[in-house]
Amino acid sequence: MTTLQPKRQQAQDRRSMGHAIMWVLILCFIAVNLFPFLWVLITSFKPGSEIYGAQTAFRIIAAEPTAGNYVTVVQKGILSAVLNSLLVSGITTGYVVLVASMSAYVIARCHFRGKTALMALILGISMFPQMIVVGPIFNMFFQLRMLNSYWVTMAYSTITLPSAVWIMVAHFKRIPLSVEEAAKIDGCSQWQTLWRVIFPMAAPGVFTTAIMTFIAAWNEYLLTLTLNSQKEYHTVPVAINALRTQFSILWGEITAATIIVVIPTLAIVLLFQKQIVSGITSGAVKE
Amino acid sequence: MQRRMTWKEFLFVLPLLLLVMVFSLFPIASSFVYTLFDYQTNNQAKNSLYTGATLNAALYAEDCDYFVHYLKRDAQAVGDADKPALTALSETMAAQSALYSGGERTVALPAATGEAIQSLLSDTRALLTRLADTYPDLRIVTHGPQLLDEMETCLVSSNFVGLENYGRLGGDARFGQAVGNTFVFTAISVAIELVLGMALALIMDKAIRGIGMVRTTALIPWAIPTAVSALIWCYLYDGTSGVVAMVFHRLGLIASPELLLTTAGGTMFSAILADVWKTTPYMALLLLAGLQVIDRGLYESSAIDGAGAVRTFTSITLPLLKPSMLVALLFRTLDAFRVYDLIAVLTKGTPETLSIYAYKMMIGQSNYGYGSVIVVAMFLMVAAIAFVYVKVLGAELIRE
Repeated sequence: MTTLQPKRQQAQDRRSMGHAIMWVLILCFIAVNLFPFLWVLITSFKPGSEIYGAQTAFRIIAAEPTAGNYVTVVQKGILSAVLNSLLVSGITTGYVVLVASMSAYVIARCHFRGKTALMALILGISMFPQMIVVGPIFNMFFQLRMLNSYWVTMAYSTITLPSAVWIMVAHFKRIPLSVEEAAKIDGCSQWQTLWRVIFPMAAPGVFTTAIMTFIAAWNEYLLTLTLNSQKEYHTVPVAINALRTQFSILWGEITAATIIVVIPTLAIVLLFQKQIVSGITSGAVKE
Repeated sequence: MQRRMTWKEFLFVLPLLLLVMVFSLFPIASSFVYTLFDYQTNNQAKNSLYTGATLNAALYAEDCDYFVHYLKRDAQAVGDADKPALTALSETMAAQSALYSGGERTVALPAATGEAIQSLLSDTRALLTRLADTYPDLRIVTHGPQLLDEMETCLVSSNFVGLENYGRLGGDARFGQAVGNTFVFTAISVAIELVLGMALALIMDKAIRGIGMVRTTALIPWAIPTAVSALIWCYLYDGTSGVVAMVFHRLGLIASPELLLTTAGGTMFSAILADVWKTTPYMALLLLAGLQVIDRGLYESSAIDGAGAVRTFTSITLPLLKPSMLVALLFRTLDAFRVYDLIAVLTKGTPETLSIYAYKMMIGQSNYGYGSVIVVAMFLMVAAIAFVYVKVLGAELIRE
């Protein structure tokens, strides 16, 4: 009894030590993850004189906080870029989810020749360097006079469609075939089965796909940069980089714009983190 | 018990097939075709793919008409010895004009016809030079050379070069440098992300409380547009107002704060650090999902058998995690390999990776021919990397 006591104590100590270390690591991780945003937030309220001065640049609290940076970037039209991004990402999400769920249903349910080849092709497209399509797509858009327009959303299919199909196939496969058979026995036609039974059951998958597609479209930089050079069609990633001028970088404006454009992303992450995690891991995890 | 495909099902897949064809397969095929041409969109003679010669027929015919018009008077002004030559020229020009006027603005010519026009132009030039000594006042002598110059620009010869562009790659030191940079960036950042991501995943797998908060904060860097987070890091690394640069300098890691964005080593380090910051959480989430499908009973058995933490990790966790890990690694490797946004924004293109070099070549310098060779080379490297993961390491991507 007397010899056992210290041993148990020791084990307990070691476990709580382990716990403490784990918590320290977790806190470190959170701190490192969030620090850049916090610093950007701090800078966005500093006047120019405090951002560049050697003494003041690293101060945590601005001596004379100002909202001037926000006013300037709003005047420079950052909100129209946010609107463009919403529009472009919304259109992309709409048609990509529709196309992906239709085809994923058939891929998951039907047997046809070349199915594996089709899946391999889709997977291959999600892997290839995006740079290989940029030149030809630019030429195509130039010849069809589609540069500087919302047609860019069609080109977004090359980056969003493969993973959307992939996620949807995984979700449709989880719906047991017996459900469809039961619906048929109950007198549903093929279409009714699809619209009233299958798609409602696949709704969580559709939702996950929609969010993943939206984020991918929201983050797209290369295609918009190349195809839509006019400012009125700039999306957030392009517009914010256009704030950088040739000769000077106005960090006050850039940090204020960053805070503004990060808010939608933040909202999506906070509201839909379950769907995002499911989207990230579906297809990548062997169950 | 799966259904067969009928036309109805095919209609469901059709939009996918169309989109994939128009925006993925066709552009990829085009890029391969571009590599065979000296295709430069800012050069009038090379701004399209010309397999044969083409002629600006309208302008050419107009110039021929001018010759005919001038020759009408000039033919009377020369001696009998030169008359037949001028009459012949006038007839040829009239015939050419009749042949090419009124039709398409530009016409494609067989190679032989292109050469015939070429020799007609040089013969005419020789004739004009000969006549210039005796009859300096002839109108074809004073105006002819200009017309001939213009006619030569009307004729665009083929810019098909076969595999010549590929040959240039070998001697291109900048390409070699870009390959090196891309591989260094990919290998180092993916390796660090794997180790840190694994540690994070193991912690999250053990932690009971607080996991929600960790997961939320982990998703934020991943969900922010790369072009925006790269700009944030650009600020943090800034030589005069960047807080990370300042801290590194105070810690003695760098000799002076502006080195992070101005030197070759500094930019590589900065790009890798920013990439690790952004993608480690993503890697951790993928690995965590893999960890969570491992049967908990196995850990209990290994604890009963007296295995320590290290032994449990190497004998149970790692082998069972291998499939998920390989898939995660494959996706991350290919993602890092094609890095563009991060470096383009952070340093405007240093260290120069393959994507950056290709983009500068194509969009910056309008040299689509050689730029396409670079992207095709990238494409083949990506295929090779995927092949190694799938066939050699056994990553399993498609299950039926």
